[in-house]
Amino acid sequence: MSTVAAQIQNRKNADQTPVVEYRSIRKQYGEFVAIGSVTARVNKGEVVCLIGPSGSGKSTLLRTTNALEQIQGGELLFDGKPLPASKAGIRQVRQRMGMVFQNFELFPHKTVLENITVGPRTVLKVSEQEARKRAVALLDKVGLADKADKYPANLSGGQQQRVAIARALAMEPEVMLFDEPTSALDPETIGEVLNVMKRLAEEGMTMIVVTHEMTFARRVADWVVVFDRGNIVEQGPAAQIFDNPQAERTRDFLSHLGWDG
Amino acid sequence: MDFDFSAVLDSWQYLAGGLGLTILLSLLTVILSLIFGIAVALGRMYGPRWLSVPLVFYIDSMRAVPVLVVLIWIYFALPIVTGISLPPFWAALVALTFHICAYVAEIVRAGISSVRAGQTQAGLVLGMSEAQVMRKIILPQALIRMLPSLGSIVSITIKDTAIAAVIAVPELMKRTETVSGQSFRPMEAFTVAMVVYFLILFPATRAIDLIYKNIAYRGRS
Repeated sequence: MSTVAAQIQNRKNADQTPVVEYRSIRKQYGEFVAIGSVTARVNKGEVVCLIGPSGSGKSTLLRTTNALEQIQGGELLFDGKPLPASKAGIRQVRQRMGMVFQNFELFPHKTVLENITVGPRTVLKVSEQEARKRAVALLDKVGLADKADKYPANLSGGQQQRVAIARALAMEPEVMLFDEPTSALDPETIGEVLNVMKRLAEEGMTMIVVTHEMTFARRVADWVVVFDRGNIVEQGPAAQIFDNPQAERTRDFLSHLGWDG
Repeated sequence: MDFDFSAVLDSWQYLAGGLGLTILLSLLTVILSLIFGIAVALGRMYGPRWLSVPLVFYIDSMRAVPVLVVLIWIYFALPIVTGISLPPFWAALVALTFHICAYVAEIVRAGISSVRAGQTQAGLVLGMSEAQVMRKIILPQALIRMLPSLGSIVSITIKDTAIAAVIAVPELMKRTETVSGQSFRPMEAFTVAMVVYFLILFPATRAIDLIYKNIAYRGRS
């Protein structure tokens, strides 16, 4: 078995500047410590899955990435540079990161097509025609070309989440953040969302995924980070985490989920 | 006593002119109240303290004072205090808007608060500014959610315009009084006014309800 150093050496694009780097990140809500001290990196083209029990800090860490949550300590680098402090700077960074939420958060007053075009139209000032063209192509990609003129209320959960992915992709982001994208879905629609994510990974998209879908993490993730009570208990290649976990806490967590390798 | 509507019905053109003014006054009041109501709500929710404190005072005081008092004060007392004297129609428009706007502001505030935080975040992560999120994402949903309450505002406004009669704005109520006095048929005159108000308001409130039922899903996130 390789050493930790060798594992890190072997990661995808390990020689390049990481897309996202968390350096001793600390996050508190008043007295409550949500994240103690977390250090991790996400290389270009990698799929990094954050797993762990509820309330262990993985979603919170994801939300610090695009400054939906402020950090109280440590340093967060995006493309080698610290997150800017100004509102305008944060907006610039957010344009380059896509985010998919647990509850989809599609805009109910806009059609599927408008949901996808509103970002490029409003923020990137892309022309109506160009934005529509791109949106239609993205809808085709997530298998919903026939739903362009429907409203979100007329779509199933799985379809809504696929539209949400298309909406994020419309900004042509450099990294995609997924916050438990299948946790609010009916079991029979989870697969269609995971398939879209898997294809995205195969195309080389850099992805950070908070998930409880262990099968997905095992198959698709390049790197898995295991959280417990605001800290990382273990991180490593998916094969190691799932087939040969080093930390007692990881073994406990996986066995609670019924994971048997 | 026998009812005899002939004298009143002979004045239908005169009364119709009054109805036209009632509708004009109502429409202008509703539109202005909506515009200023949104501004007041946003100022109260997101504005600095020096702005939000007086706005809360304004809203609370308007809810504590009868609209008739506001109207009479603006028409009779304002010229004495400030030297600004408004013609009756404009005094009525200002008073009604000033009063109704406070209620609209509260409805807008409730509507905005009811849209969940995830919607704001979904806008922000696309790189939108807070103002863009409010304009493109939150307000449109809030307005749809507010429709039933705004329907009540429309009917209250149309009925409240009747008080403009006390400062002799020649709207439906004032003209009904005139017809009543000239024909010596007050029962008939006011019965006609009642029926006309009902025929305007009843379909209007039904229509707003129907529109809401058909688009409510566009406000549900």
